[in-house]
Amino acid sequence: MDPFATLGMPREYALDSEELERKYRDLQRALHPDRHVNATPAERRIALSKAVEVNEAYRVLRDDVRRADGLLRLLGYTGKGDIADPELLMEVMELREALSEAKQGKDLPQVQKLASKVQSLATTTRRELAATFGELPADAAPIALAKPAELLSRLKYYKRFLDEVNVIEDEALTWTKAG
Amino acid sequence: MALLQISDPGARPTPIGIDLGTTNSLVAYVPLVGGPATVRDCDNEALVPSVVTYKDDGSVIVGRAAKALAIEHPRDTISSIKRMMGRGADDPETHRLAPYRFATREGAVVKIAVAGDRVVTPVEVSAEILRELYQLAEDALGPVGGAVITVPAYFDDAQRQATRDAGRLAGLEVLRLLNEPTAAALAYGLDSKQKGTFAVYDLGGGTFDVTILQLDDGVFQVRSTGGDSQLGGDDMDRALAEQLLAQLKDEAIQSDPGTVRAIMDGARAIKHALTDRDAVDLELELPKGGALHARVTRAEFDALVRPLCERTGLACRRALRDAGMSPTDLDGVILVGGSTRVPCVRAYVEELFGKVPLDSIDPDQVVAMGAAIQADQLAGNSQNEQVLLLDVLPLSLGIEAMGGVVEKILPRNTPIPAGAAQVFTTYADNQTGFELHVVQGERETAEACRSLARFTLRGIPPMPAGLARLEVRFEVDADGLLHVSAHEQTTGIKQMIEVKPSYGLSDDEVERMLLDAYDHAETDVTVRSLREQRVDAERIAVATRNALDQDAALIDEAERLDIEAKLAGVIDAARGDNHHLIASRIEELDHVSRNFAGRRMDRSIKQALAGQRLSDVERDTAHAEGTDRHTSPRKDE
Repeated sequence: MDPFATLGMPREYALDSEELERKYRDLQRALHPDRHVNATPAERRIALSKAVEVNEAYRVLRDDVRRADGLLRLLGYTGKGDIADPELLMEVMELREALSEAKQGKDLPQVQKLASKVQSLATTTRRELAATFGELPADAAPIALAKPAELLSRLKYYKRFLDEVNVIEDEALTWTKAG
Repeated sequence: MALLQISDPGARPTPIGIDLGTTNSLVAYVPLVGGPATVRDCDNEALVPSVVTYKDDGSVIVGRAAKALAIEHPRDTISSIKRMMGRGADDPETHRLAPYRFATREGAVVKIAVAGDRVVTPVEVSAEILRELYQLAEDALGPVGGAVITVPAYFDDAQRQATRDAGRLAGLEVLRLLNEPTAAALAYGLDSKQKGTFAVYDLGGGTFDVTILQLDDGVFQVRSTGGDSQLGGDDMDRALAEQLLAQLKDEAIQSDPGTVRAIMDGARAIKHALTDRDAVDLELELPKGGALHARVTRAEFDALVRPLCERTGLACRRALRDAGMSPTDLDGVILVGGSTRVPCVRAYVEELFGKVPLDSIDPDQVVAMGAAIQADQLAGNSQNEQVLLLDVLPLSLGIEAMGGVVEKILPRNTPIPAGAAQVFTTYADNQTGFELHVVQGERETAEACRSLARFTLRGIPPMPAGLARLEVRFEVDADGLLHVSAHEQTTGIKQMIEVKPSYGLSDDEVERMLLDAYDHAETDVTVRSLREQRVDAERIAVATRNALDQDAALIDEAERLDIEAKLAGVIDAARGDNHHLIASRIEELDHVSRNFAGRRMDRSIKQALAGQRLSDVERDTAHAEGTDRHTSPRKDE
């Protein structure tokens, strides 16, 4: 499945998100089961499966990591798993250690400081990813995909880190009461 | 040509919206002129207490009359049954301050022994409430069409299934299960033509939901939802009742069912009175003699309720985060549910979101009104502009993988209808079966999530470990209900899964209850099937006719004649009494119209992608149809 084609969007990483939302809504207006309650069974079935397909494509395109992943596959990238750049691993390990220390010390300001640091790293990575994808020719050789794939791995690490921060922030709501 | 008897639209059965609440339920509809209205009983009351009393003579009483019997018949009067929907008999939450005779403390289904030697399940108790509302609507409106029943957005699959089963058991045609906050937003959105991003804060009798949604140009798109399906006004009553009970000291009295009931009622009365007073004195006569004197101040009550508010706050923060928003991104906060009348809850919401919440529609009635609007639209009656609700899956769905870890297949907040597949493989040589365990929830281990179903895929030919490829596909429909299928890719062995629900009733059990509900089961079921098939045939005939009229250009002569012939077959069968024949003729028509349906859908997609609105298209086709209708030859009956 090509999620870009399903939603009628250009195959780009840097998508116009308003355009995406508009296309998504227009398609669901045409396909959502609620619009076909009085249709024939065949039409209901087809509309439902298309509505599911549009939702699947939308889920891929509106999330930057899934979108980059999908784009790489469509461009012919076949690599598996994340690219473990030793420098990145070291950086992430240090950040995680700092986070775990802050959590143990119930130091919320420190958690938030780390979060905003990673947040800005993620923003930079997104920008680089957009630039790299933007410069790729349509018939890019597989070797040219290594760079965006590496950036994507980086972004995934940052996002996982930020997910962990969210969990800690939820827990932190109970810290104040305990302490 | 005479199609089937197509009744006059003015006399069409009225579709209804039902808010099946923990404490109170109500039913609403959309009249021919004007906005949605609630159905009122002979005392002009819209709220029907969700209370059911089973009497010795086998009769069943629902609503205010049942509530009045609660203290006298505490064990045979069931209230707050919604909290037990789709839960197991061993769930500790089921037993808290519930004075009933539980028939079992184990197993998948709660069973309560009541007067008249009966054992009832939560689905049956809920069906009694639904039946009462159905009757109320029929008395007021005449024949009732389908129903939209609301559920808390945070209800899991087992709880949704149980609600749908209760609807079926009550004899309702359930058009849709609709999430309560989405229903409320619909009522508000249509009322005020609002545009923007809203949070719906819905604290009911037993459930809490928060939903972040965007309203734009008739589309209500849910961005995220969160909540707690075991948190509501009941918990405020219980917290206060537990405190009051502790004052009694005598353990025998503390556990007396009548006393517990009386004190729960007392606690609720105090809560209501504290809405506009700073302190309340309670004098409560106890059923076992003696009395309870208590004075509760607003400040004391607020302190009891505060931890409950904070639990809602956690869910609100998560929902905002999942939507990628902060409180400042919101254009408004909508209050829903009777428990939002409690002053400290309002104050908390205002503090949390930094906004004065909207409450212009009665928080007890707004959900039923939204459900009525949706029912009206789904029945195709609506004079209003068509709106579209795009909802999400509230809790992640996954499969238990090796080591008890959950492999998420559909994450929470996925837009529905949704589908996704995941491939699993064998871990042992010559393994011929797969044991699959479907779970729902956010935790990492299957044990900590809610178990939905277990099933086994058998008949895989022996091969080395890791070679078999088992694709498990999840489909969640627009009701938020899950369907699972699986097939082994190397051999093509496919199974629609025979799901053994971990909680709740199996389809067979519901079918049996339906049969039991009729006196002359066999004939009644045949009559019912025939009626349903005829209604189906009528709908399909009209839909096929419309499609042929609208899209003559998409079909060649041979194909059209083929469809016309099968259509005539359906109409013919529907005049007879053989429901099997009707079903098979419908199937034949379906078979020959597939390609045509596919072309119609492809055309809609192209138009949608080109930014053409359905309303524009309809106007265009209606125009084209005008010339077409008279020239196209029609097979006469």
